[in-house]
Amino acid sequence: MYRLNIYIGTGAVLLALVGLFLWIPQDTGTGLIVRVRRQVSIGDALAPTIAFTLLAIGGALLLIERRKHSSTDVMLAPFLHTGALVAVIILGLLLMRHAGPGFLLVAEWFGATDTEYRLLRETFPWKYIGYFLGGVAIIGGMASLSAGRLQARTVLIAGVVTIGLVALVDVPFDDLLLPPNGDY
Amino acid sequence: MQPLDYIAAGIQAVIFGPAAFELLGVPVPLTLVMVFAGVVTGILVGATPGLAGPMAMAISLPILISFFGYNVEALLPVLGFLIGIMKGATLGGAVPAILFNTPGTPDAYMTTLDGYPLTKKGQSRKALKVAHLSSVSGDTFSDIALFVCAPFVALMVERHLDFPEKTALLILSLSFIAAVIGGSPGKGLISVALGLIAVFIGGGEDFYPRLSLGTDALAGGFSIMTAILGVLIVGAVLKEYEDLWHRSNLSGTCERIVDNGDQRLTRAEILRIAPYIGQSSIVGTIIGALPGIGTTLAAALGYQLGRARHERRRPEGAPAFGEGAIEGVAATEAANSSVSGSNLIPVLGLGIPGNAAAVFIILATDSIGGFTPGPSVFRFSESVVNTELVLVFGLFTAMLFANLVNWTFGGAFMRAATVMVRAPKRTLLPVVLLLTFTAVYAQEPSMESLWFTLGFGILGYLMRKVDMSPLPFVIAFVLGGSLENSARQAFSATGGDPYFLFSSWISIFFLAGSVVTVVLALRQKRTDSTQA
Repeated sequence: MYRLNIYIGTGAVLLALVGLFLWIPQDTGTGLIVRVRRQVSIGDALAPTIAFTLLAIGGALLLIERRKHSSTDVMLAPFLHTGALVAVIILGLLLMRHAGPGFLLVAEWFGATDTEYRLLRETFPWKYIGYFLGGVAIIGGMASLSAGRLQARTVLIAGVVTIGLVALVDVPFDDLLLPPNGDY
Repeated sequence: MQPLDYIAAGIQAVIFGPAAFELLGVPVPLTLVMVFAGVVTGILVGATPGLAGPMAMAISLPILISFFGYNVEALLPVLGFLIGIMKGATLGGAVPAILFNTPGTPDAYMTTLDGYPLTKKGQSRKALKVAHLSSVSGDTFSDIALFVCAPFVALMVERHLDFPEKTALLILSLSFIAAVIGGSPGKGLISVALGLIAVFIGGGEDFYPRLSLGTDALAGGFSIMTAILGVLIVGAVLKEYEDLWHRSNLSGTCERIVDNGDQRLTRAEILRIAPYIGQSSIVGTIIGALPGIGTTLAAALGYQLGRARHERRRPEGAPAFGEGAIEGVAATEAANSSVSGSNLIPVLGLGIPGNAAAVFIILATDSIGGFTPGPSVFRFSESVVNTELVLVFGLFTAMLFANLVNWTFGGAFMRAATVMVRAPKRTLLPVVLLLTFTAVYAQEPSMESLWFTLGFGILGYLMRKVDMSPLPFVIAFVLGGSLENSARQAFSATGGDPYFLFSSWISIFFLAGSVVTVVLALRQKRTDSTQA
């Protein structure tokens, strides 16, 4: 952990310096102190300045903390595995967002409908298409990635569980919108 | 209204509040139904390795708010459900620890040390009964401490602390949390700083939303729900999944449990474990009242003190701690359960959350409105009814009912919850993730919020990966706004005095305490590293 702490400490100090000398001065409307109509008050920059200063102090403390030189390696494989998991989640969210309108485009192409998605977002099956496909992709994808193989049984379980979640979350609550229907 | 009238009004708000349904013509109070459902959910969640009470609280909160709406009447049912989960999860955490040597919650790890050897001796049901009795006793003791102490803490704060002192107190709380959580003050401070930076993005009093990089997406800032659920839940799911990848799925390899001998807990055994329960309850309650320390340390301390006592008084032939002593299970379970009630002392008395569960209590009150935890809640006003105080006594009533459920049905639910140990983590964790996204979307119906949640989840994963606790981040995110507002008010109230934080001895004392806490933690760290 020793070398890792040096990386974290250095990163925190660098981020703090960027925040203090670039981000805050360039991206806040008022300074540390503001004088309006002869009244002095705290400006918008003060709180983030204190936060970035704390970040610098935390980073510096980490650099001076003595630690046992036991493990210096950070394994790459777990990061790659988690990276793949995040990719599956992103894919699932993209499906959730675009599957419903995408299917509608296809339906329009075949001349089945000419209604926009916003008007269909609370009707069956349109309200569930994105959530169902995105949910199956997230649950089935993550479970398959963890198991190291894609099985029809996993996808089936993901489908059943997602339908269960729809029944649990959407059916009893009239006002609750499933993703992505609130965006339309 | 007199204090007794407030207590009566609080009880009435629960008993005669909205009814969930009628049973033989008698209306069943909604709050009590929600508490009951919360306790059952909590026990099931606690019994499932990989899940934890705060996860269930996080997922259910936005859904409950969507269902009950943003009105004061929703407060007691929603808070009742959350408190039920909090209490049930502590009880349920002992189930896999005792039966399968797998702690359902981190604080139940010490329970495995004596619980699992008892199971191997064919005494699993007895071990579960000891865990049940100890856990519920500790919890009840802690609740009584809360009922007695919280009003006094609040009244003292209200009487002696003005804006500068309140600002200094918030700084002290954040320093304390940064210093004691995770074992590294440097990482604790970084975690606090990141939480503060995140909450300050898009905020401020100027027309231009600060630190927004000129984008619309950051102009509104990050919502509390996306940040907290992202860092706490999505981050935990990603880390759990990585751990699962490292080892085989423990939940799939359950051994068959065979009990033999008398499984009853005799009066002599109850008397034998009573001093351990009492000792651990006091330890856990004291630790719980300090923000940020949490149940794991309470369990470890309770266990160590129990072991010392057991070594002095152990009869010839009785098992030692670690070999299946029922005193070991009692000491641990009483200690970790007695944290939950006293944890609410800083929440209700000061408005400062001390652990993840308390964060969700604050989040619920913040989202619903009509109740702001803090010293003003305990103002016993005689001329005008303080509705917040009535709600507090309603909350206490709900807590007592949750204890009653735990005392009466808790044992049976614990035995029934053993089935949850077999739930496959590979499927369960993505379901939690999807439920989290659904819950966030219920509160903020925009895909942007899901992307932010995922972003905070990755941050939470990285923090766990480098052994940095995400809890200081979360608490700083929750308190950041109050800290800035309090400082602004203190600055104005002192006529723009730049040294307003040093305007009284109390605030100087709090500030000195902040520095001393971090320095002491740093020295302790260096001593530990030198000795290692």
